[in-house]
Amino acid sequence: MGRLLATFGAATALLLARAAGAATDFDWSVDLRAVSSDGTESRLDGGLGKLRYDSAHDGLRLGEARAGLRTDLTETMRLNAEAVAYGDHDVNAVDLTEFYVDWRPIPHSIWRSRVKLGAFYPEISLENRLRGWGSPYTLTYSAINTWIGEELRTIGTEYSLDWLGRSNGHSFDVSFNAAAFGWNDPAGTVLASRGWGLTDRQSTLFGRFANGGHPYPERTVFYDDMDKRAGYHAGISANYRGLLEFHALHYDNRANLAPYSARINDSTWETYFDSLGVRYTPTAGLTLISQWLHGRTFAGLGPPINAWSFDSEFLLASWLHGSMRYSARYDRFASQQTASSFLAYVDNTYFGDRGHAWTLSAEHRFNEHWDMTLEALEVQSWVAQRGIDSEYGGLDIPLDQRERQYQLALRYQH
Amino acid sequence: MACTVLAAPAQAAAAAALQVTVTGADGKPVEGAVVIAEPVGGAAHPAVNAKAVMDQRNLMFVPDVLVVQTGTAVDFPNSDQVRHQVYSFSSAKPFQLALYAGRAHAPVVFDHAGLVTLGCNIHDSMVGYIWVTDSPWFGRTSANGTLQLRDLAPGEYTVRIWHARLAETGPQLQARLHVEEGSAATANFRLQHALKAELMHHGADKKWADY
Repeated sequence: MGRLLATFGAATALLLARAAGAATDFDWSVDLRAVSSDGTESRLDGGLGKLRYDSAHDGLRLGEARAGLRTDLTETMRLNAEAVAYGDHDVNAVDLTEFYVDWRPIPHSIWRSRVKLGAFYPEISLENRLRGWGSPYTLTYSAINTWIGEELRTIGTEYSLDWLGRSNGHSFDVSFNAAAFGWNDPAGTVLASRGWGLTDRQSTLFGRFANGGHPYPERTVFYDDMDKRAGYHAGISANYRGLLEFHALHYDNRANLAPYSARINDSTWETYFDSLGVRYTPTAGLTLISQWLHGRTFAGLGPPINAWSFDSEFLLASWLHGSMRYSARYDRFASQQTASSFLAYVDNTYFGDRGHAWTLSAEHRFNEHWDMTLEALEVQSWVAQRGIDSEYGGLDIPLDQRERQYQLALRYQH
Repeated sequence: MACTVLAAPAQAAAAAALQVTVTGADGKPVEGAVVIAEPVGGAAHPAVNAKAVMDQRNLMFVPDVLVVQTGTAVDFPNSDQVRHQVYSFSSAKPFQLALYAGRAHAPVVFDHAGLVTLGCNIHDSMVGYIWVTDSPWFGRTSANGTLQLRDLAPGEYTVRIWHARLAETGPQLQARLHVEEGSAATANFRLQHALKAELMHHGADKKWADY
């Protein structure tokens, strides 16, 4: 079903573009990796490791192959589609990560409205600013943006009202946005079961793979709507001369905890959070980014209802010098289950994690098509559910783990 | 922005020329300041067949500031790989160029004096300025903060100074001076406020995607 929909979506986009004879931007990229990792089993294989690649899955890997399409439906309305393949065992070999129409009328005054309709990312990440929601700074995303890529997608509509001060003699722009969405009722599942992670593996719109939540090895659908109740997010952003950019957003999927879905073998998850982000560019070439996110998630019919709180922040510094870009990031993260309905089944363990990670990367750009990136990542973490005894279906490994991953990526983009 | 001339324009003798020097609040020369010498009470002199180019490169307008005489036809080529959608809602010249790459549009004629702020509807970080003046005597200061204006007709002039990094809309400094026949006048301006931070550009190196 998912594969059909994905294929249908991509084909529709291409047909619409051809039919309209419209101007179309099409770009694609392929990223091959040589990976060395001592990580414990990754979420992609049902484990509680923090990394994308574990010690059983390193070597030569497909980082990603992606294609992006932007085609004009009218002068001010565009169709945007992003397709990706990761070469892992997702049920769909190729799938979509975003598919939406945006309307962006040409401003006639300092105020401009914008509307998006479809499946797209909320305006949270200051790190993932390339086409395909990639990061220009490091291969692996921060813990916060890893989670956003794994579990969040706005499937609905978003309205933005922009105050274009910079086009009218002022030094800054301000933007307000609000969205209503569905199909995000499982959001929180990954965070609650595995805790935070550091990967660059975005979940696709129709994709599925094993849940990391030992002892719950069910397969998870990421985007589903069981409660027929819309969620919302609302935010504000401001930009001062390109020097300082600020984003704040409140998210609440407003899930009703009652419905249970046989399809995802789980009930809804109510998740809400606040997020802040700042990007500072003090001099040409130097970029500093920090994001903070704090929220809670709830699941189950209770009593008691299962509850978790989670928070993370990171600081990233990146220096662009000629054809080289050097980046360093420090992440800190924590999640903690505060109420449990299933203690008896999981060795009396409240789920939770805490830890920190360092990511260092250097990228060399050969020309407009080819670049190469070397990245080293070390994450030190404590995860309560690692200790669940095997008789409860747990891993029974030490709670504290230090995981290291080295990647050399060769990328071609067209 | 309330700036005033701290050093009043000095006047000296020689051919009808005017040398303008602009220094910052820190005493250092200011590059790129727009200088316009308008004859007081003079009639407008629309340019005839004047042409200029405002390019778009690496998600920036190039030059960042263009000064043209009223009546000038400005071409807006797009030298980027991505398409742009140029607009202005400034009262001196509201206009828009439908989404394009390369040279898809005829030049735009700027027929009213004033400041026109340019934007790109696809890339909100792009900002450019076109100063349109009725006077044929204008330019921008060089790296040493000076600009030489030649062949001025003798008479009273209002000299206006504007800089994108002092922002806001109108001229920020002005002074009246008299240019005598066969003289070389000099005018020195010192900005009262520090220039605002330079605009920072992101994403010129990769396929950047704005929200």
